[in-house]
Amino acid sequence: MTVANKRNKAKQKPSTVAWRFYVVLSVVVIIYGSLMARAAYIQVVEPDMLKKQGDMRSLRTAANKVQRGSVLDRNGRELAVSVPVETVWADPKIVMDNNALAMTDHWQALADVLGQDVNKLTSRIVRNPNKRFVYVERQVSPVMANYIKELKIPGIHLRKESKRFYPSGEVSAHVVGFTNVDDKGIEGIERVYNTLLTGTGGKKKFRKDAKGRKIEILSVEEAKPPKDVVLSIDQRIQTLAYRELKGAVSAFKATSGSVIVADVHTGEILAMVNSPSYNPNNRSNTPVHKLRNRAITDMFEPGSTMKPLSLLTAMEFGVAEGSTIVNTHPGWMRLGGRRVSDPSNRGDLTMEEILIHSSNMGTAKLILSLPKEFLLDKFFDVGFGEDTGTGLVGESSGMMHDRARWSQFELATLSFGYGLAITPMQIARFYTAVANGGKKLPFTILKTDKQVEGERIFSEHHTADLRTMLEGVIENGAKKAKVEGYRVGGKTGTSIKAIAGGYGNDYVGLFAGMAPIDNPEVVVVVVINEPGGDLYHGGDVAAPVFSRVMKGTMQVLNIAPDNTRVVTASKKKGDTNA
Amino acid sequence: MRSTGHDQAKKKDIWQKLHIDLPLLVGILCLMILGLFVVYSAGGQNADLVVRQGIRLGIALVVMFFVAQIPPRYYLKWAVPMFVVGLGMLVAVLLVGTMGKGAQRWLNLGFMQFQPSEVMKLIVPITVAWFISQHDLPAKLGNILIAFILVLIPTLLIAKQPDLGTSLLIASSGLFVIFLAGASWKLIGTCVGLASAFTPVFWMFLMKDYQKQRVLTFLNPEQDPLGSGYHIIQSKIAIGSGGLNGKGWLQGTQSQLEFLPERHTDFIFAVFSEEFGLVGVSLLLITYLAIVMRGLWIAVNAQQAFAKLLAGSITLTFFVYVFVNIGMVSGLLPVVGVPLPLVSYGGTSMVTLMAGFGMLMAIGTHRRFIAQ
Repeated sequence: MTVANKRNKAKQKPSTVAWRFYVVLSVVVIIYGSLMARAAYIQVVEPDMLKKQGDMRSLRTAANKVQRGSVLDRNGRELAVSVPVETVWADPKIVMDNNALAMTDHWQALADVLGQDVNKLTSRIVRNPNKRFVYVERQVSPVMANYIKELKIPGIHLRKESKRFYPSGEVSAHVVGFTNVDDKGIEGIERVYNTLLTGTGGKKKFRKDAKGRKIEILSVEEAKPPKDVVLSIDQRIQTLAYRELKGAVSAFKATSGSVIVADVHTGEILAMVNSPSYNPNNRSNTPVHKLRNRAITDMFEPGSTMKPLSLLTAMEFGVAEGSTIVNTHPGWMRLGGRRVSDPSNRGDLTMEEILIHSSNMGTAKLILSLPKEFLLDKFFDVGFGEDTGTGLVGESSGMMHDRARWSQFELATLSFGYGLAITPMQIARFYTAVANGGKKLPFTILKTDKQVEGERIFSEHHTADLRTMLEGVIENGAKKAKVEGYRVGGKTGTSIKAIAGGYGNDYVGLFAGMAPIDNPEVVVVVVINEPGGDLYHGGDVAAPVFSRVMKGTMQVLNIAPDNTRVVTASKKKGDTNA
Repeated sequence: MRSTGHDQAKKKDIWQKLHIDLPLLVGILCLMILGLFVVYSAGGQNADLVVRQGIRLGIALVVMFFVAQIPPRYYLKWAVPMFVVGLGMLVAVLLVGTMGKGAQRWLNLGFMQFQPSEVMKLIVPITVAWFISQHDLPAKLGNILIAFILVLIPTLLIAKQPDLGTSLLIASSGLFVIFLAGASWKLIGTCVGLASAFTPVFWMFLMKDYQKQRVLTFLNPEQDPLGSGYHIIQSKIAIGSGGLNGKGWLQGTQSQLEFLPERHTDFIFAVFSEEFGLVGVSLLLITYLAIVMRGLWIAVNAQQAFAKLLAGSITLTFFVYVFVNIGMVSGLLPVVGVPLPLVSYGGTSMVTLMAGFGMLMAIGTHRRFIAQ
């Protein structure tokens, strides 16, 4: 067959072949189109996800570990410190690659020193042969770590960590809180000031290659070194408050109790203790209720401790003054079909006597002569229904209803401390305002040097009058609250605890007071919750604690006793009051 | 055609005398130069790699030039002996070939390693085209069956090495000839039917485990992102992170940071896509398309049946190369070891490819020569 012949033959039916070429051509074009579409899909429709995946593979952020700052009391005493410990971890892949499990003696020794079962220990490694990191034991002491290091088991490594230690133990547990095993604050100051305490450990964002080598550093965040947190707490007062409270809670078979000591000029909390407490260094088996900082979380009806507020409000409005006499005859009255009463008919009472005898009638009669808006405004002014400003986790704002309709009976009960629920801190805040001459201060748990201006809510001379009355309460009524060498003022409270559907048989014994009465420095509030013995009155269960805590505080703060001048002072007082 | 201008006509004559098809050459050179840049980037900015690739490209261009000088009728004469020698070498590979990466693909010639399957990429279409052009077109059924056998023998021999990618390419190069020769649609339908019926058998008895794994991985790469799915996931990430405009030459993180395996060889398209984006990909695909179009144009205009079939087959095989590689890298097709023609780093296949282009040019230019 010649070339010419073939060419002829091809020419005979060129259409078939040419037609096929066109088919081929269109198929080629379609396939290129689909490749283009595929690329467009990956690059334009899907790229965000893929870019993210790309960054996930190559971007890393490294944090420089720094030791957590300490928590100190106002005098620099350590309440929480970090101690170096070591964490034992295993690289199962290395262990398996080196056939290290054959070193049974070594593993036995490791298990023994850690107090673990050797089989459990090794099975955790055998089960994860391809993992590169398994915790063996967190936070072991340096001595144990050294021993483990000497065992030289391939694939068993140590890592430096730090562990929190709380030298003050249960005394300051509620305030300071604690961290979890990863050194992250989860309660109290440790949680609130976690970022401050940890600092920001300086972050470095960098790109790495597939072999983990750093390629380029994208950004460096300067490290903020961890700072110590200095609390307003005075550990000496804290300790004695805790000791006294714990004693009283146990002696009066109470379920719990709290004591707050506050500086009336700065709003600093000098002590805040609760009982029962817990050991922050070993929290295993601690029931959750013990972890609660009751001084800020628990609210209850404050009862008679609110009577000074009612009297002060009446004086502020002008319906009463220091020398006003209220007729409480016949010792009871009906308001809208419900009864307000005193235990007995006490007849005419001075303002001071209303507080001494804690007369519901006297308080109710006084406040019923005021416009209710004025009364309610004062209750809100002293900070009921808002938190006290410490910023502590879990602080309750209490319950103070802002409603338009209040019956006469409800107003009367409000005047002697029912129908609202507040925390011990809120009681302390009100008494602070009385003590410092009428200024509401935000409370703080951090030591502060600057004088807070505060918000004036009462006039200075009315609070002075009230303080005189409060001194009288202790002189003539709640004698167990007396403090040797100091003139003090305060008010008892014994409120019946509300239970579902009404009131039960449990009480809260309260005492709130201040000293020295002429120019008060501190306010102390004592709460004894559900005393279970024969004694349950605030004047019996809370007042003695108040007395001892106040005395200790005066001594710790080096405040000169003022009761040596008691004779001259009372003479003076007699002169001015006459 | 010649009316465009005297100078142009003269120029054309020079290329004609050199047996070089200018549009094809321009397209090829574009891709080669682009390839050098991408190889530099993908190879970790290793100048050695670029120099070696440059030398290889030079050799390949020389080979192309020489092949282009051979008039197509010589292939006709030598088709049968070449085919026989080729088959002999394939058998020899299976018997005495050297092992590499789990496959037996190389013959040690003493002074160099030689991969017979590469040569077969050209010999098979030549042989089939020769056989079919001996008879009337469209080819009769019996002849088509014989042609099938001519394709099947080398395909199976290469698949046995195992070298799935090459065997598929060779099979398709032969099948393209048969298709262009005018196999009826009925026959094509039957074949496709048979092939799909044969697939389970193929899957169960002929495919190696690693090949099966590739298909499974293709169907769901995320099932084993650190193992068998790693290639394709990394490659998709690289392509995708290029976006519309790309990250710029040498700026691709996935490739530069060595997350992407086989960056400068089979997966070079992913590097290119990351650095040049969809815009670059579009230009690249258009360049490939232009080359294929030019090849088909040469085929359509060839006047001998043999030349037509051979040119069509060479062009379509080149097209399959591009499609299989980009399809694989972008996750449309299972992973098959096929480089991106003219761009990927690598030797033997480049030379074969360029020899193919040389034949294509020979077909294009000698035809005109004869026509004059």
